[in-house]
Amino acid sequence: MATLRINGTDREFPEEALPATLLDLLNTLQIDQATVVAEINGAIIERKYFAQTPIQEGQSLELVRFVGGG
Amino acid sequence: MKDILTIAGRSFTSRLFIGTGKYASNRIMAESIRASGSEMVTVALRRVDIENENDDMLCSIDRQTCLLLPNTSGARDAAEAIRLARLARAASGIHWVKLEVTPDPYYLLPDGTETLKAAEQLIADGFVVLPYINADPILAKKLQDIGTATVMPLASPIGSNQGLKTRAAIEIIIEQAVVPVVVDAGLGSPSHAAEAMEMGADAVLVNTAIATAQDPVTMARAFKLAVEAGRMAFNAGQAARQKTASASSPLTGFLRNE
Repeated sequence: MATLRINGTDREFPEEALPATLLDLLNTLQIDQATVVAEINGAIIERKYFAQTPIQEGQSLELVRFVGGG
Repeated sequence: MKDILTIAGRSFTSRLFIGTGKYASNRIMAESIRASGSEMVTVALRRVDIENENDDMLCSIDRQTCLLLPNTSGARDAAEAIRLARLARAASGIHWVKLEVTPDPYYLLPDGTETLKAAEQLIADGFVVLPYINADPILAKKLQDIGTATVMPLASPIGSNQGLKTRAAIEIIIEQAVVPVVVDAGLGSPSHAAEAMEMGADAVLVNTAIATAQDPVTMARAFKLAVEAGRMAFNAGQAARQKTASASSPLTGFLRNE
């Protein structure tokens, strides 16, 4: 199994099913990529690079989006 | 002549900024923003809930009329605030940020030294920084000196609805300010907002008092009218206060001979 840490929680993927790119990962998790911003190992990934950003085992990801706030 | 508020080169006809937290639904939030006439609304960044994918709240905000102002709520120090601001810019393409650093969860009072540190870095990174601060005239001066676009002193703790507890200090901030002063946090009723505007505040930011009212849409309109009335009164120049009475009607002497 391959592990990714996503928003503070470890998630296991079968090695062969590990998404290849960040965009693939968002699709797998059924997250609307148009509204999300991502950090991989602390580095911000802009949306336009989602499709060309490779996902590798052991990475730590933060997926955030806007919510109501004052 | 139109009474325009300018912040970092952008013009606003409305002097009421709206926070988007605590609304019962995106629909009520959107209707309240419309009723308020606001042209700037704050938003926050949070982790995506992967198990419970929610609707995107940004769809409910008319971005033609409203500028999004991402905040750094949740940041407890300068480093966290800078990280949130950069994420918000990547998410929205907007380089404006409401800088807030609140290490204490009980009163949510802002940390002035961390705010100043974060503001310096963010301005160097090209951000337009609107810092949420204690009503501290010295800190307000330091922030505007390093180039913040506004200062946003609190009226009372966030969400407390206590009104202008810091009135005397905000008066000094307004007197000394060279950037717009936005009174933020704690304004609980339209009369509080009107009071801030009568004092000469350039704008106010309101969230809880509208979002948690029984009828948020009507309350949003009430705040709109109060902010307009307060601003109009400020521009009109208030009559002087005095200790003794000054008769409004002529005191005629015909009732008795003296």
